[in-house]
Amino acid sequence: MTRQSLTPMTKVEVVVAGDDLPALREVFTAAGATGYTSVANVSGVGHHGFHQGRLAFNERDALTLVITVVPDDRADAVLAGVQRLLADRPGVMFVSDTNVSRPEYFR
Amino acid sequence: MTFTGGGGAARARTRIDVEVAARVIGPVWPLRSFIAVNPLDGLVELGFDAAVAQAQRWLRSRCLPDLGWLRAAHQAGRITEADLRASVLARQPSLGDDEVAAFLSELLEHPADAPAPSPAPRTAAERCDERLGTQLAATVDAMVATWCAGFVDEGAAAWPMPGRSDGLYRAWRRLAPHDPGLRRLVGRHALAELRRLPEHPEDAIVEALDDLGVAPESSRDELRGQLCRLPGWAGYARWREDWAAPDDPAPRFSLVDLVAVRLVHERLAVRAAGGKPGALVRAIHPQPVGQEPDDHAAVWLDAYERHYRDELLTTMARPTPAPSVRRPAAQLVCCIDARSEGLRRHLEAVGDYETLGFAGFFGMAIRFRPLGATRSTAQCPVLVTPGVSIEERPIPGQERPAERHLARREKSAAAGSALHAAKTGTGAAFTLAEVSGWVNGPVAAARTLRPRRRVRAERRSRLRTAPTVHASGDGLGFALDEQVLYAETALVTMGLTGGFAPLVLLCGHRGRTTNNPHASALDCGACGGNPGGPNARVAAAILNRSEVRAGLRERGIDIPPRTWFLAGEHDTTTDTVVILDRHTVRPGLAGAVLALEGDLTRAGRRLAAERVRALPGGRARRPAGHAAARANDWAEVRPEWGLARNAAFVVGPRSMTVGLDLGCRTFLHSYDPAVDPDGTALETILTAPMVVAQWISAQYYFSTVDPDVFGAGDKTLHNPVGGVGVLLGGGGDLRAGLPRQSVLDGDNPYHEPMRLLTVVQAPLERITAVVDRNDVLRHLFDGGWVTLAARAHPAAPWQLRCGDGTWAPWQPAMQTDDHTEVPV
Repeated sequence: MTRQSLTPMTKVEVVVAGDDLPALREVFTAAGATGYTSVANVSGVGHHGFHQGRLAFNERDALTLVITVVPDDRADAVLAGVQRLLADRPGVMFVSDTNVSRPEYFR
Repeated sequence: MTFTGGGGAARARTRIDVEVAARVIGPVWPLRSFIAVNPLDGLVELGFDAAVAQAQRWLRSRCLPDLGWLRAAHQAGRITEADLRASVLARQPSLGDDEVAAFLSELLEHPADAPAPSPAPRTAAERCDERLGTQLAATVDAMVATWCAGFVDEGAAAWPMPGRSDGLYRAWRRLAPHDPGLRRLVGRHALAELRRLPEHPEDAIVEALDDLGVAPESSRDELRGQLCRLPGWAGYARWREDWAAPDDPAPRFSLVDLVAVRLVHERLAVRAAGGKPGALVRAIHPQPVGQEPDDHAAVWLDAYERHYRDELLTTMARPTPAPSVRRPAAQLVCCIDARSEGLRRHLEAVGDYETLGFAGFFGMAIRFRPLGATRSTAQCPVLVTPGVSIEERPIPGQERPAERHLARREKSAAAGSALHAAKTGTGAAFTLAEVSGWVNGPVAAARTLRPRRRVRAERRSRLRTAPTVHASGDGLGFALDEQVLYAETALVTMGLTGGFAPLVLLCGHRGRTTNNPHASALDCGACGGNPGGPNARVAAAILNRSEVRAGLRERGIDIPPRTWFLAGEHDTTTDTVVILDRHTVRPGLAGAVLALEGDLTRAGRRLAAERVRALPGGRARRPAGHAAARANDWAEVRPEWGLARNAAFVVGPRSMTVGLDLGCRTFLHSYDPAVDPDGTALETILTAPMVVAQWISAQYYFSTVDPDVFGAGDKTLHNPVGGVGVLLGGGGDLRAGLPRQSVLDGDNPYHEPMRLLTVVQAPLERITAVVDRNDVLRHLFDGGWVTLAARAHPAAPWQLRCGDGTWAPWQPAMQTDDHTEVPV
């Protein structure tokens, strides 16, 4: 498989509090994203200092990394929603070009 | 700029605007798994004062206790002048003696609540009502609430609303043109508009905001106003969107759908009433907050809390009793639920027992499906997703009795279903009494006159079953290494890593009431509003497995071979404890189990006597029988007080509180700092059980200070709707929170509305490190939601965490005047 045989798309990665995951799901639904991957309990250092990762019995208050991939024509809708969310909620978003092998999964 | 434009970006932004607008409303769990929750949980980050100001503005609620009631507490000695003085100085440390005296005089002599200013309108219909004298907002509320009730039905309706799988907005959009009530409200000319409504709810919202002339910068306020007209249904939508399991069978009821339906109603109603959008454009004015009466109430509340805090910390500062050198006959591990404190206290008094506290799901985050049930329940705190499915199955050799039992139950269920169908059938209801009255009449009379018989029948039908905790390949149960991990986490978190007694009873709990839509509110919150027995059974089964013990031994926890873990369930309404799965008990322990059972019965009777005295109409004679009768009386509106008067969460060894009568007001979580050097166990305790305790505390607080907005109202008027909640009477908003009878005695609070006090015995630097790396804890402790008191060891003085994260020595208010000792 070569890179040329893949289909270019946009990847959006968002780190938010677990509590904001439902809002993010709403954004993806409204923007037409067909799915997402979430990694619960991520930890790290941000400009507010260290954020704890795994909590034994609380998934809502730890940080979650959410990744979605959308065709380029839907990327603006995802970005608009996520930017609206992050306007007054803690979190970060990374946007990058990516390539996928099964484009029909994302349309 | 207008909102029109549609497309994915606009829809995504609208969804977020609705989500943000809904934060002022707390989620409302369905009654099948009622969870006590902080109604202002979405505003926790703002801090208590700012969150309260938001709620006062948007929900038009009272958020601080009534001043008249606080003054009465002062006259009764429950709040002293010393408490008030200390509270004034805590808020304004720079005041001199004269100024403090003047402030106190004003506090004590100021008239009770001044009349509240008329609230500013929140929605277009409210603005129209204000200008034109119409009643549009209330009319729209009633109509939309009726649609909501029809939509959310979980199997109660004989004729479900069509098209529910498409969501409320789309289902309503198809039916709306046929709604005669709506036609009357909006006029025939609007029918064409109803038929032209956009397919997407977000587009309908954008269109309506545009048509009503709402400026973009006011759109979130308008959306919030819409939701705050129906906070019960909005709260249920928050649960469905944010908290329900992905496979929950409840129909998808979303915030954006609710707002779209309500906003379209308002838009058309305002137009039909002749309200000119241009005249309604005026931005929503923020209502003044932090007015003088509220400032006074804040000082009063602080003094009220201070008095309890001083009493509790003083009591716990007594010399710690020396630990018993004898090994206890048994150890009892109860849920942290405040009601367990009484059982622990009385059991310790009747025999040689050691008791511990741990979240009542015993670290087992499971889905549990009882034998013969089609639906499983999530048996864990709602902060956790259950990772393992457990089923109840007959033990080998008991398959036939189990089959017979299930067949009997199916027959009984079929009869109940037929009766329900007859009651709700269009024609059958008219002849039901004549046809079935000869059977139902005597049954109803027997149930009323001999309420305890049903319980005895239930006990007789108990089966010999076991939960599937074996490591199996069929998708049920845990892998062995998971079992070891869960067991280790539970034991280390509660500090039980050595000194095991021959018997260790893991005691879940449940309430038992009849004809009570809020029955699950009396069950175990740590088990997701379900009875805690299944979790105790699973935990005991795991801890008795030799393979698990071998794994624990490798991790430094050596459970002696002679130690046996038992499962039990404390019925908090009758204060009886049943031993579960007793057929699994090793034969040589039968005598010890019988002795434990006898002492539990004695302890339960003492606790019942204590509890019944506090119940209105409680009889001191034969209290255990009286408690049982209340549990099974289908006309009883207050079978028990539940968690009313809960006040504090205590983390540390039992030696901090042993021998003290804490009045069933404290959540007691066992903790041994010595086995938790890195603070992991403390972090678990504070970020999960304490958060749940804070939700319970806040639910009781707000349901007490404003029973109409945050409470579910009078039980005698409750009308269950769709299996999800209750209405007052025949319609209107879904009622969230606790019923009046759960927190009030008549019109007077039985629950003492205070914010939670958390008391921890652990090294201060460890506590600080845990708090500082968890936003949720910083928000709660530094935002005024929870007071944190701590000491490093029993001989150290108490310290209080300040809002800036530092510690200050605790200094009790100097009590020089008469005061009442609070039962702590």
